[in-house]
Amino acid sequence: MTTATLETPSQAKPAKQKVILCEGNEAAALGVALARPDMVAVYPITPQSSLVEHVAKLIADGRMDADIVDAEGEHSVLSVLQGAALAGGRTYTATCGPGLAFMFEPYFRTSGMRLPIVMSIVTRDGITPQSVWGGHQDAMTVREVGWVQLYCETVQEVLDTTVMAFKIAEHHDVMLPVNVCLDGNYLSYGTSRVELPGQAEVDAFMGVKDVNWHVALDPLRPMAVDPLTGGSGGKGPSTFVRYRKGQCRGMQNSLRVIEEIHEEWAQRFGRRFAPLVEEYRLDGADYAIMTLGSMTGAAKDAIDEARDAGKRIGLIKLKTFSPFPVEALLKSLKNVQALGVVDRSVGFRWNCGPMYQETMGALYRLGRHIPSMSFIGGLAGADITVGHFHRVIEATEKLMTGPAPTEPVWLNEKD
Amino acid sequence: MEHTKYLVVGSSHAALEAVTAIRMHDTEGSLTLLTRDTHLPYSPTVLPYVVSGRSAPDGIFLRDEKFFADNHVALKRGKALKALHTERNAAELADGSEIAYDKILLATGAAPAIPPIPGLDQVAYHVLRTLDDATKLNAAIKQSKQAVVMGAGLVGMHAAENLVKVGAKVTIVEMAKQLTDGYFDATAAGLIEKAFTDNGATILTGSRVVKLAPSAIGATLTLENGTTLEADLLLVATGVKPNMDYLAGSPVEHERGILVSDTMQTSVANVWSAGDCAQAKGFFSNAKVMNAILPDATEQGRIAGMAMAGDPGLKKYPGGVPLNTYHFFGRHAISVGSSKAPAGAEVVTRFDEANGRYLKVIFMEGRLLGIYGVNEFFDGGVMCQLILRRVDLSSVKERFVANPLAVGRELMSKLWR
Amino acid sequence: MGRSYNTIAFDAAKCDGCGDCMTACATAKVGVGDTARSRIQVVGSADDGFELALCRQCGDPKCVTVCPAGALTKDGTSGVIDWSAAKCVDCLLCTVGCAYAGIALDAGTGHVAKCDTCAGAPACVPACPHDALTYITTSRIYNEVGDWEDLFAPGLAGCQGCNTELLMRHTLRRVGPDTVLATPPGCVPGMGSVGFNGTTGTKVPVFHPLLTNTAAMLAGIKRQYKRVGREVTALAIAGDGGASDVGFQSLSGAAERNEQILFMVVDNEGYMNTGMQRSSCTPYGAWTSTTPIGEGSRGIPSQGKTQDAKNLPLIMVNHRCEYVATASTAYMEDLYDKLDKAIQASKVGFAYLHVYSPCTTGWRFPTDQNMEVARKAVETNFVMLWEYTPGEGLRFTRPVDDPLPVTEYLKAMGRFRHLSPDQISHIQGKVVENLAFVKQMVHRASV
Ligand SMILES: Cc1cc2nc3c(=O)[nH]c(=O)nc-3n(C[C@H](O)[C@H](O)[C@H](O)COP(=O)(O)OP(=O)(O)OC[C@H]3O[C@@H](n4cnc5c(N)ncnc54)[C@H](O)[C@@H]3O)c2cc1C
Ligand code: SF4
Repeated sequence: MTTATLETPSQAKPAKQKVILCEGNEAAALGVALARPDMVAVYPITPQSSLVEHVAKLIADGRMDADIVDAEGEHSVLSVLQGAALAGGRTYTATCGPGLAFMFEPYFRTSGMRLPIVMSIVTRDGITPQSVWGGHQDAMTVREVGWVQLYCETVQEVLDTTVMAFKIAEHHDVMLPVNVCLDGNYLSYGTSRVELPGQAEVDAFMGVKDVNWHVALDPLRPMAVDPLTGGSGGKGPSTFVRYRKGQCRGMQNSLRVIEEIHEEWAQRFGRRFAPLVEEYRLDGADYAIMTLGSMTGAAKDAIDEARDAGKRIGLIKLKTFSPFPVEALLKSLKNVQALGVVDRSVGFRWNCGPMYQETMGALYRLGRHIPSMSFIGGLAGADITVGHFHRVIEATEKLMTGPAPTEPVWLNEKD
Repeated sequence: MEHTKYLVVGSSHAALEAVTAIRMHDTEGSLTLLTRDTHLPYSPTVLPYVVSGRSAPDGIFLRDEKFFADNHVALKRGKALKALHTERNAAELADGSEIAYDKILLATGAAPAIPPIPGLDQVAYHVLRTLDDATKLNAAIKQSKQAVVMGAGLVGMHAAENLVKVGAKVTIVEMAKQLTDGYFDATAAGLIEKAFTDNGATILTGSRVVKLAPSAIGATLTLENGTTLEADLLLVATGVKPNMDYLAGSPVEHERGILVSDTMQTSVANVWSAGDCAQAKGFFSNAKVMNAILPDATEQGRIAGMAMAGDPGLKKYPGGVPLNTYHFFGRHAISVGSSKAPAGAEVVTRFDEANGRYLKVIFMEGRLLGIYGVNEFFDGGVMCQLILRRVDLSSVKERFVANPLAVGRELMSKLWR
Repeated sequence: MGRSYNTIAFDAAKCDGCGDCMTACATAKVGVGDTARSRIQVVGSADDGFELALCRQCGDPKCVTVCPAGALTKDGTSGVIDWSAAKCVDCLLCTVGCAYAGIALDAGTGHVAKCDTCAGAPACVPACPHDALTYITTSRIYNEVGDWEDLFAPGLAGCQGCNTELLMRHTLRRVGPDTVLATPPGCVPGMGSVGFNGTTGTKVPVFHPLLTNTAAMLAGIKRQYKRVGREVTALAIAGDGGASDVGFQSLSGAAERNEQILFMVVDNEGYMNTGMQRSSCTPYGAWTSTTPIGEGSRGIPSQGKTQDAKNLPLIMVNHRCEYVATASTAYMEDLYDKLDKAIQASKVGFAYLHVYSPCTTGWRFPTDQNMEVARKAVETNFVMLWEYTPGEGLRFTRPVDDPLPVTEYLKAMGRFRHLSPDQISHIQGKVVENLAFVKQMVHRASV
């Protein structure tokens, strides 16, 4: 049981871990291998391809004992995994961009069926215009479908989060699918030093697999999965409503579970990642910028430089984007007077970045008005540099005194 | 007191069919079968062949003990119904015991009718209705040199043939003007008669026995015209009467037989009757008639059984159609339906005297009323359906008379196959 | 539970009265070819056509009940009414009891004689040169399966006269309880296979996949059970629309990967559950609610579907599946054979069973005509019954060499009522072409 493993690990000091050099896609593949899934279904797509190639190679080399299904498309990829999960298997896949769009039909349903499937989104911008480069547009487009979505900042975090994702998904209070989002190009192909946890330690961390206790397609426990509900009479509507409420409760529960599991990870493996919201140099900051994913590295450099220059600026990074960690975010914003939010995708309806839009929603609960603005950068693989972040910092600083612009700032427009 | 849901009295055709029908619908309800016979069930119809030796007495049983066990039927042999107490739903047996029932079927059939002729009670004679009768007669014919058969119905004729075949000198005495009256006309009877006389039998039709007396070899019979006959073996086969003495004092209405509705129910709601003891609707007239033949006993038994068990598939009794088949000296005669032509009927006959083949067909308004033939085979069951279904044969009449076998089959295949 | 028995069936329409069956019977039974002594009697009828007199081996035989000698008995195993020469007393009462002329006097012996089905290999049947006689052995289905548990809930909510319930019950009985059943949106879950609001329609695990991903989900289920060493049948009972249109990709993918699935398509030639819309399996000319009949525009009337049906089973053959077959509920024995083979094949790889399923509601025919319509489809070669394995190739299981004109099929239902002569000849032409196409594949298999 997942809960049973929450006890404090016996060894005080984490075991020494092997250090390797790898790209983010390989780190994800290694994380998957450590989590020992039963089934992996794959369909290649840039920039995810090398991830599934790594998985295939790990299986081919006998370093991972999983059934691999080379499905004929992403729609079937997720469908195969749904079947396997309903039959009791731990399952994994990865996709992005158009693949995720094609997968949408079963994607929507996975959270409804409460299947703890883990899927990496090696984020890619949306087409059209045609592009094969990174951007958060794909993951953002499906943010409202009941999956837990965690964004990683570093290659190491990709590896560690991938393992943790299984445990979060399968937690009995959650039972929801989890996306581990890693930026296409920047994290997928970015090579860095990675510490590789030992298999035995990960096994101990993962505990006993128990993925279909709540819903199963198993002749030993025959049941009808997903009978027709709804309509305007009888038990129909209330059945549906209770179901949906349950999904929302699972999402809210995941906020706590994500924190608990990150804490346990830190204890067992010595690496601590902010589970929901990371505050960087926020102490004594009057204003702040908000980031998501790999752009945060450059942002932190810019913050350091600005602080050195005497600016009272800090940084807030979201790791958990879905469910939106409203309470944690509000806590971080307690003393902030102005806020600039940097998105790597577009919210067409509000003419701003999606994270900005969501943050505005959270700010309403803050009980006081703070000026804020939206920055959109890094689309279609563009780099958001330290220079760009200095522009962000300056513009945010001006909010403290001047009027807030209603238009977003398009960072790479004139690059 | 012993209690049973269904009490069936009798163990012959009507009774056995009723048991099957009850068990078809109610597999568990307690069922008792009571018979005064000591043997396993058998058919009276087979007895002439026991007499002749063709059928082994132990090879004629229609059911074995296993059948009753498998069907949860309590079979009580050698137990006669003596009186029926409908007011308390109890059957009193000859041994004085009683069985309480929810529903009872009286399928006690018939017994030989013994004519009230002076002296008959003074002489030894045979009858043929039970297996014991048959085994006795079988032993007796082997000794007989000079036999007299009273009654030229089918029972008497069968026995006479057996006697002829063992070499006895046989005389058949029949009151009516022809033998096998009621099934065959004079021409057919003539063919039958010829077969007997050709084989050495003497047939005295239109003759009445008025007196009997014991004699050295057995009995002396005196006929109306004064002639006397000596018999070392006397068989009385002058007809049957239903077994229903046990109804004395009961409210169950009866005339010549036990009166039943078209679901074989008697005048008392939980009492049914079927077979030779029942008097039910005839097919040709709505009057209640005695139709003491085997096929009707089975039909009535089935209807009674279904009615007793409350089987929703129950269909009403259409009325008795006379049917008979008769095998004599390697020849056969089949009779289906009415053998008499009522006023307005159309009668067509075909007679091939040289070959002893005879066919008679009676139509009424284009519909078949009766058909019979000697040495002319047709499917009696098909003919019976043509009558029951009142099939209009106007358009095929000629073909039908020319070849009732083929045309009958053709119609059957078209109409109800 | 009672038993069911094999029987000799007669198709009067095929009989030309040659009498070969009678000769064969008489020869087999009395050693001479005298047709009068045959126990099967074909009689010429006054009009045209021929009629039959033959023992029906009744379940409640009148001849047995009227026999006074116990000479006739119904054999509980074979169902045949046996006649004992030793016990018979030649009374002929049985001939009076039988309303079907099934037992009659054999003048040659002086005894009655009746059909005994030649101990299960009736001589008359193969003797008929026109296939007017068939020995129906479907009883084995009932005898084998009759006592098996019906794994569907009683009272499924199908349309009156629909044969899909029959198919569902038979299939699931056959496949048994160690099954996971996928019933994608369509008539099958519409009937309640997956139940409503938390109820269930089956005693096996059952689910609604998406219309699009049935084969993929089943693949995942099957693989997971295989992985943990459990023998579970992955079964789909899907409609033609989901399989041939929007679900085709996952079907094709699973077939190509040779997933161990038994995929049954119930082809009612359209989206019947959603209101009878056209699918790619809808035949040319058919009315559907999205190919309605109307005056049209620019002088071109709207006359039903303007394209021919996609032949999904042939497409599946081209996946070289472990087993592919077409079947019809009008030919249950054939269907059962194929079901057995498909079950076996699905233990090794992908098995595909395409069952033609007339839809009383959507095809517009009276509710008591389902089997008749299904049969006519086969008899006209509109539908062909065949099976394919990679080893044996393709073969017809019920070849129809002398097909009825396709109009015999078309006129049986309302959806083709409006057809113009040109449309009819198009359909007839397509039947001929399809037959030629499949025959070529049969030929390939035999060389
Ligand atoms: C020699 C002979 C030849 C025949 N040939 C033909 C023929 O060729 N064709 C034809 O159609 N019919 C023929 N019949 C007539 C045919 O046998 C009867 O119609 C038929 O048997 C009637 O059946 P049943 O069940 O009504 O009664 P039965 O057969 O008379 O049986 C009556 C049953 O009731 C029992 N029983 C009687 N009284 C009592 C009681 N008080 N308590 C308990 N049990 C009692 C008897 O023991 C017997 O079991 C023939 C009859 C005889 C005797
Ligand atoms: S002819 Fe033979 S088989 Fe037919 S009823 Fe008479 S005894 Fe029975």
